[in-house]
Amino acid sequence: MTVLRLRGLVPLASLAAALTLALAACGSSSTSSTPSSSGGSAKPPGSATSGNIVWWASPITTSAPDPRTVLINDFEKVYPHIHVTLRSAPTDTDTNRASLITQISGGASSPDVFMGDVIWPAQFAHSGLAVPLSKYLPDSYWSTFASGLVQGATYKGQVYGAPFFEDQGFLYYRKDLLAKEHLSVPKTWQQLETDAAQLVHKHLVKYGYVWQGASYEGLTCNFMEYLGSAGGSVLNSSMTQSTLNSAAGQQAISFMRSLITSGATPSAVTTFQEPQAMSAFANGQAGFLRNWDYAWSFSQTASSPSKVVGKVGVTPLPAFQGQTSPGTSNIGGWNLYINPHSKNVAADLTFIKWMTGATAQTTLATQFSEIPTVTSVRSSPAVISKNPVLATVPKTRLIPRPAETPQYAKVSQAIYTNVNSVLSGQTTPTAGLKSASDQVNSAVSASGL
Amino acid sequence: MSTPSVAPAPGTRVAGATPPAGPRRHEDVFRRQQARLGWMFSAPALLVIAAVTIFPIIYAVVMSVSNVSVTGSGISLSGLTGSNYSIMVHAAQWRYALFFTVLYTVITVAVEVVLGTCIALVLERLSAGRGWMMALLLVPWSMITVINAQLWGYIYNPTYGIADTIFSHLGLGSPVILGTRVPAIIALMVADIWKTTPFVAIIVLAGLVMLPHDLYEAAEVDGATGWTTFWRITFPLLRPTIALAVLFRVLQAFGLFDLPFVLTNGGPGYSTQSLAVLAYNAMFRDLEFGPGAAVATSTALLVVLGCIAFLKVFRAQVGRQG
Repeated sequence: MTVLRLRGLVPLASLAAALTLALAACGSSSTSSTPSSSGGSAKPPGSATSGNIVWWASPITTSAPDPRTVLINDFEKVYPHIHVTLRSAPTDTDTNRASLITQISGGASSPDVFMGDVIWPAQFAHSGLAVPLSKYLPDSYWSTFASGLVQGATYKGQVYGAPFFEDQGFLYYRKDLLAKEHLSVPKTWQQLETDAAQLVHKHLVKYGYVWQGASYEGLTCNFMEYLGSAGGSVLNSSMTQSTLNSAAGQQAISFMRSLITSGATPSAVTTFQEPQAMSAFANGQAGFLRNWDYAWSFSQTASSPSKVVGKVGVTPLPAFQGQTSPGTSNIGGWNLYINPHSKNVAADLTFIKWMTGATAQTTLATQFSEIPTVTSVRSSPAVISKNPVLATVPKTRLIPRPAETPQYAKVSQAIYTNVNSVLSGQTTPTAGLKSASDQVNSAVSASGL
Repeated sequence: MSTPSVAPAPGTRVAGATPPAGPRRHEDVFRRQQARLGWMFSAPALLVIAAVTIFPIIYAVVMSVSNVSVTGSGISLSGLTGSNYSIMVHAAQWRYALFFTVLYTVITVAVEVVLGTCIALVLERLSAGRGWMMALLLVPWSMITVINAQLWGYIYNPTYGIADTIFSHLGLGSPVILGTRVPAIIALMVADIWKTTPFVAIIVLAGLVMLPHDLYEAAEVDGATGWTTFWRITFPLLRPTIALAVLFRVLQAFGLFDLPFVLTNGGPGYSTQSLAVLAYNAMFRDLEFGPGAAVATSTALLVVLGCIAFLKVFRAQVGRQG
């Protein structure tokens, strides 16, 4: 019985290991090279009237009706010979990007048009995964957008994404609790910290101020707002050197940590993404919330479920004492891009032009409370009177993430992993900032892990 | 495997140099025909396997030693280089991921084998309801890992999770389980152990029911205690089965991906970033296909070497006992 056939297990082990390895190579195999088709026809770009388009877009809202299908139906009424098929993309942005990258770099001609994050242009442009739209669309088209949005979609002088809808950080607060404590709406971060801690001390709420502190992209957005408000930046203007390790960086990161140590913010914030912060606020457990545009509709819909309907106010994010007020709100949102392998670029352009035109933009704002990207629509009375968030938009100051480098994903990871470490108390603010800065430098200087 | 009936046994002297007798030769031809037919039938399946596994494996290995760049018309490879591996070895992230993955594998597999063996011993004694118990045990194992991770995410949730409630009732405060290094690592291990211990238990149970009864009867006659019987009879005889379970588990645990991907995204900091998560991030987030492929290739190589070393040590020990 002691004669063992263990030797037979060796090939088994190798095979299973090989399978593990096989997964690693998934999706990177195709080498087909379809040349990108150009508009070709004599008609000006964006005026094609026939063709088939596959539009890749993640869900925009969770409520019915689906804005994507509403917009497609409206579009097809105007262009009955262009047929648009919606391909629903993963809701997780990183998964969404990974699927797109594997499809496009594999040479797939579908999807034709994809809705992608505002931080993708440099990475996609650098690797040739998106069509430079400014080759086709004139300056008069690009000047319709709110300032800063086109700049954010530009890489090396070409615009790669058409701004579809914008998003940004806002401060949401409980009107009823502030009135009870005779507090005014905080204009500075320091004031917000004191007020939030007071609400917790008086047992009016379980948590004072909730935001997104988990180790993910959203933390970079939050950090940028403190950093911008303190007057700092992540990279120099040529995107080659970290400028993170500065007095402003120090102020931003130390303040974020102090929110937790002072009791204004729960230590659980280090695991919070948007849904956790949102549900704490909507359940009435928190006095203040930093969140995106959707938090307004969410908190005002009893079926969300929200227990704070009618008790919520919204305002631009605070500033650090002695700095320009209001503070800075980070730019989020989505652009429309064209797959370089698309067989129908002419129809793609028509679709993009219509989606970023006044009709679609007004629908997005008035029916779905998304922030429009077109200046004239942003300031139209119908949009401003829709809800307090859209009315707050013109009062905010915007700050982009340092996404003009193709290495942005690594830059951001350097920021959010280190800030998350500091928030959880594993690292001191000084050490965390230095480590983030070093990692940003190595991210922009060379390829690596 | 060897089939001794085909060739004449060694040492058999056939008179003169005459070939084997007629009927035997016929049998030989028939066997060969059968084998050919078998290969033909399985060829389509093998081709599919080759297309979806062997080609990508080779491609990944090639990528790991090439300069890789992503372009609109596909991934282009140029030149032969060791720089991907050099980047990898010099990256603190990789060294930590390696440490974390090895630590995670050793601890979870060890706990799972001990627990799984205990469960199997209990199950073997169960006369009634063994089928039901096994079915129940298999529930966690048959659950998709991502869903399993999501469920544990609810348990570990710092605002409404049951773990938080239990800790605060026990007067341990409310630790931020997934947001602090050591608790986050332990939390991942617990989720893994919960899911895969039944797998080990089933394999060990299968080995257990096949053990010869006469040995136990003999031990009983000799007056051996339960403890002695386990260490002197059950455990030595179970070694091959346990080796198999360990092997399966090590291969799986070393490829740890789903749990950290869902529960912590590698955080806090890089605390729970396994080699597979690192490779995924490098390739699909940062488009660093070269270094990413290097991580994947070296991971596969390491786990194969680890398994071979394990089997060698195991066999040596068994040999000494025999």
